[in-house]
Amino acid sequence: MVWAAIIAATCLLLLVFQKMLWLVVPFLLALILYYFLYPPVRALIYRGMSRDAAASVVTLVFLALLVIVGIALMPWVARQIADWQNTVERYAEGGMRLLDASLRALEAHWATLARARLADTVAARLTQGAGSVGDHLEPIAIGIMAWTPSLLLAPFLAFFFLRDGRRFKRFLSAAVPNAFFEKTLFLLHEIDRTSRAYFQGLINLTVLDTLTLAAGLWLLGIPGPLALGLICAVLAWVPYVGSILGGLLVVLVAATDFPDAPGMAYWAVALFIGVRLLDDFVYMPLTIGKSLELHPLVTVLMIFVGGAVAGVPGLMLVLPVLGVVMVIGETIGLIVTDPRLMARHRHARALRRQQASSDL
Amino acid sequence: MVSLFHPRKTSPRLERLHSLSLFVNLTPAELQIVDGLLHERHYLGGEVIFDEGEEGQAIYIVASGEVRISRHENGDGGSVAQAAGHESTLHPRRRQGDSGQLAQLGPGTFFGELALLDNSPRSAQARAVTPCQLIVFFRDDFVGLLDTHARIASKISRQLACHLGARMRNMALAVGAHQHLV
Repeated sequence: MVWAAIIAATCLLLLVFQKMLWLVVPFLLALILYYFLYPPVRALIYRGMSRDAAASVVTLVFLALLVIVGIALMPWVARQIADWQNTVERYAEGGMRLLDASLRALEAHWATLARARLADTVAARLTQGAGSVGDHLEPIAIGIMAWTPSLLLAPFLAFFFLRDGRRFKRFLSAAVPNAFFEKTLFLLHEIDRTSRAYFQGLINLTVLDTLTLAAGLWLLGIPGPLALGLICAVLAWVPYVGSILGGLLVVLVAATDFPDAPGMAYWAVALFIGVRLLDDFVYMPLTIGKSLELHPLVTVLMIFVGGAVAGVPGLMLVLPVLGVVMVIGETIGLIVTDPRLMARHRHARALRRQQASSDL
Repeated sequence: MVSLFHPRKTSPRLERLHSLSLFVNLTPAELQIVDGLLHERHYLGGEVIFDEGEEGQAIYIVASGEVRISRHENGDGGSVAQAAGHESTLHPRRRQGDSGQLAQLGPGTFFGELALLDNSPRSAQARAVTPCQLIVFFRDDFVGLLDTHARIASKISRQLACHLGARMRNMALAVGAHQHLV
């Protein structure tokens, strides 16, 4: 019963979140940033600094680093933007060449495919369906510009989480009746613990994925292994879809930068599949899976449910939302089904009513 | 920069906290850190604060009012006292279902301290006798304090240990077993 309510509440929340992504995405990024910046804040508090000062110092240092990195990368980014359309077209053509070469190799082995002119049919359909690169770049650029103000909210939200998170907890617990107070404190602590474990697990997973992919790409000789590894690891935050996009990116880079060695693209695919397997069976259970204490089957099923209910945002949000709803649901279940706690609450209300009307 | 690491502001609230036996050894700066972790609750006379057997999550400090600590006697206490050949002054023998008062606590005292140390169930019931204001210190905040501010946590732990030691001594004296606690 409680589990049915937990799954229903998770699906409902995902539907609501999908409608207000402009707030949910910066909120989620702010949470990731909060858990990323929390260890240095904690270290400063450990050294005797007040929480307010520690949160301010760490956020300012982080923003300063961001500005320094931004200024350092500005010339490179400006060059890339100026040449953006050409770069994207070059990589798209590289991918098309690889696909064409692979299909023609298949045609050479299977006469049926050759008779069906598979390579020409696929090429014609892709050209017809995909349109020009310029057609796609414009909406992407507009989307990035529309999202930028919303994303800039993330560091500010993270700062307030770092500074006032504890006050928020006190404020919430103050609103709870005396009978449920201890259980609520425990619930808030468990939510914090679950979220912390999930997001710190996600950060650890990203670091592990980045390093493994970067090492593999470096061994293959593909340029920019660390940047590519990092992009793929961040894309993998969106289960399945993100991994496919990351894999596609690596294959496009390999096919374009090594046009005369199609084997390189196949090696990149093999590397990517290897890292995904390592990720699913070793890294994920060690980091995120362990943090939520979810059965792997439930995890996979809920990812599918999240995707079906709320699309790509649902895939990304389903596990943290489920983790938090699970803790809330189980605790509320414990409170509501505890007759003694409910009786104490009724008794306290009766006492308050009696006190309010004592001199009437 | 030095003042950034050593906030030394004091206030009537911090002075009140300092007067509580659990925090008597803390400096104003340390009290300010602890103050950020404390919760305040108000109870009416007759309201149950926690029940015997309930999982303890926090320690309660009486800021004002009176709190009664009592234990529901189901016959075990009496049989233990009989087996020892004594009728304990702390746990006089009662009929089954009686509620035996262990203590009545006033401002500055604290109770439920075992919850800070382990997950064991509450050993007695706490009930407000008069309207009272309680300061609550949650176990996980105390455990966090052990990590972030070990010095503060050790001062609080020492006060706790002193309190538990005194209570054990009183109990031993009450059952005439003080010779084992020298």
